[in-house]
Amino acid sequence: MWKRGKGQLWRALPILCTGLLFLMPVHPRVPVAHTALAPADLAIRFEALLGQHSVLAADLMRSRIRGDDDFVQAANTALGRNTKDMTDLVGQLFGTGTAEKFSPLWSEHIVELFAYAGALAARDDTAKGDALHELTEYEVELGDFFAGASQGRLRPAAARQAVVAHVGHLTGQADAYAAGDYATADDLYRMGYQHTYDLGLTLAEALLPAADAATLREPLWRLRSQLGRLLAEHAVLVEDLTRAAVTETPDFAASGNMINGNTRDLAAAMDTLFGPAAARQFQALWADHVEQLVAYAQGHQDTASTAMAGIERRLGAFLSGATGERIGTAALTAALQKHDMMLMRHADAYAAKDYATAHDVAYQTYQEMFDLARTMADAFGASVAAKLPRGGAQTGHGGMAAIVSSLPGSSSSGPGR
Amino acid sequence: MPPYARISALAALTLGLLAGLGTRPAPARQPSPAGQAAAAGHPRPAFHADRTYDAVAAPVRLRIPALHVDSKVQRLGLRTDGTIAVPDRTDVAGWYDQGPRPGQPGPAVILGHVDSTTGPGIFIGLAAVQPGATVRIDRSDGTYAAFRITHVSRVPKVEFPTDVVYAPTLDPTLRLVTCGGSFDRARGSYRDNVIAFADPA
Repeated sequence: MWKRGKGQLWRALPILCTGLLFLMPVHPRVPVAHTALAPADLAIRFEALLGQHSVLAADLMRSRIRGDDDFVQAANTALGRNTKDMTDLVGQLFGTGTAEKFSPLWSEHIVELFAYAGALAARDDTAKGDALHELTEYEVELGDFFAGASQGRLRPAAARQAVVAHVGHLTGQADAYAAGDYATADDLYRMGYQHTYDLGLTLAEALLPAADAATLREPLWRLRSQLGRLLAEHAVLVEDLTRAAVTETPDFAASGNMINGNTRDLAAAMDTLFGPAAARQFQALWADHVEQLVAYAQGHQDTASTAMAGIERRLGAFLSGATGERIGTAALTAALQKHDMMLMRHADAYAAKDYATAHDVAYQTYQEMFDLARTMADAFGASVAAKLPRGGAQTGHGGMAAIVSSLPGSSSSGPGR
Repeated sequence: MPPYARISALAALTLGLLAGLGTRPAPARQPSPAGQAAAAGHPRPAFHADRTYDAVAAPVRLRIPALHVDSKVQRLGLRTDGTIAVPDRTDVAGWYDQGPRPGQPGPAVILGHVDSTTGPGIFIGLAAVQPGATVRIDRSDGTYAAFRITHVSRVPKVEFPTDVVYAPTLDPTLRLVTCGGSFDRARGSYRDNVIAFADPA
């Protein structure tokens, strides 16, 4: 990786060292924490960390393009923390040996993505070509690594394709961002997040024992994962929008469209669970929530804080009702208050150019929302399950019994998923 | 105990821990850096959150070319005993309208009879449908959703996998359900259900 594009990488070295320092404790041995969490729980956390990697890497690349070196350093520290957390989980899920190989490979592609963004910033096509060349080599290496770790359950071509898509989303959003095409950049930002988050499921299904992989396909685990993806993304996108609001960057409108997309997806999830009327009610409350956070970042702290307190109570009551009061209004309101406070702290830290704190708060907020989503998914799932049809369907009268009993599958088989 | 029931009791406790003491900390009440940064005095670009929710339209027609199925779709709810209602006619399919609409996130469920007392029903061929067969569902607003059968299972009604068929996820899938297996003359009912699972095409 040091053969070409040396100039770009040497310039990046002081900044990247911060992130690499975060990774130092994992070498040469990757510590494996022994916790009581089930493999499926670890796997959905792995999915969340992969999604977080995608947005942190995109933020790093964008700040490099803007020439905002302080932000770059803080973003890289957050990426290092994310890589360390992922490496720990890889160790718990797939073994220490796999984690030890994963960590340097993963870190290498971050370095190359950074070099790519630096080349865009410098409008240096040669350096950009060098970075792309290195990224292409990396895609093969990492794809082969995942395929090898799966012991044949993940084909090398499929693994490489997944890595190629991940890198493509990140380089594509950087290209568009550098060109001032923020709508495209943000479309790719969301696509990259969703793809990388879901890549975690693909990898977990391929690398985990069959029974654990099957657990991940159970409805409850899918809902935990999917709500986690949407709610954690909400935190990321609010932070992106409030940063744009504080500094009045030209991607403000595109960033607003991006969080509106997430809000629509969350409303659609509420529709799936509780129907379209509930979805509309939720979307109105959620829209208020996002608008007030932006208002806070734009200088309307007093009115926004007052409004947010009311929204938290109404949203808490709404969500409590959706759970069939399995979670009380007070507990949900308190959780939403905490969420809002963290997002306000993030906006304040960013406005004060305290990027280290801003990233630290953002990192915590992401994890908090993922954990909150898991709790909500469980309560929502229980609420919906209580109303589902009981038993099988009486969809036959016996007039064709002789033929029906001879149809394929005459021996009963399980549901299959 | 079903998985949802097991975890529901833990949900409130977990949320309490997540929320800490549930009190609003103080710092943001003070004049904030965000406010100072925004105090330049010129108008800021406005952000308007999207408040329009466009629900996916309800299904009105089902087409499965491989089974020569082309049918209107009736709405179905629950019977008073908590079981699912079934289509009034054996040549018409029914959509469980308390669940997702086909094409929106989640498992949409469509039922059809395998037979009447005298002849075949709309889903007589469902047990033999091959993976890869296409299913098209027209919706009331003129749009449609297309699916592809992934696999077919047969299960005893007494062990019907409610969780697998109905429980919510955000995957936009489709389940087609009918009867199968041997007929219990004493009960006037087939002993099994046939379930075809389909993913977006």
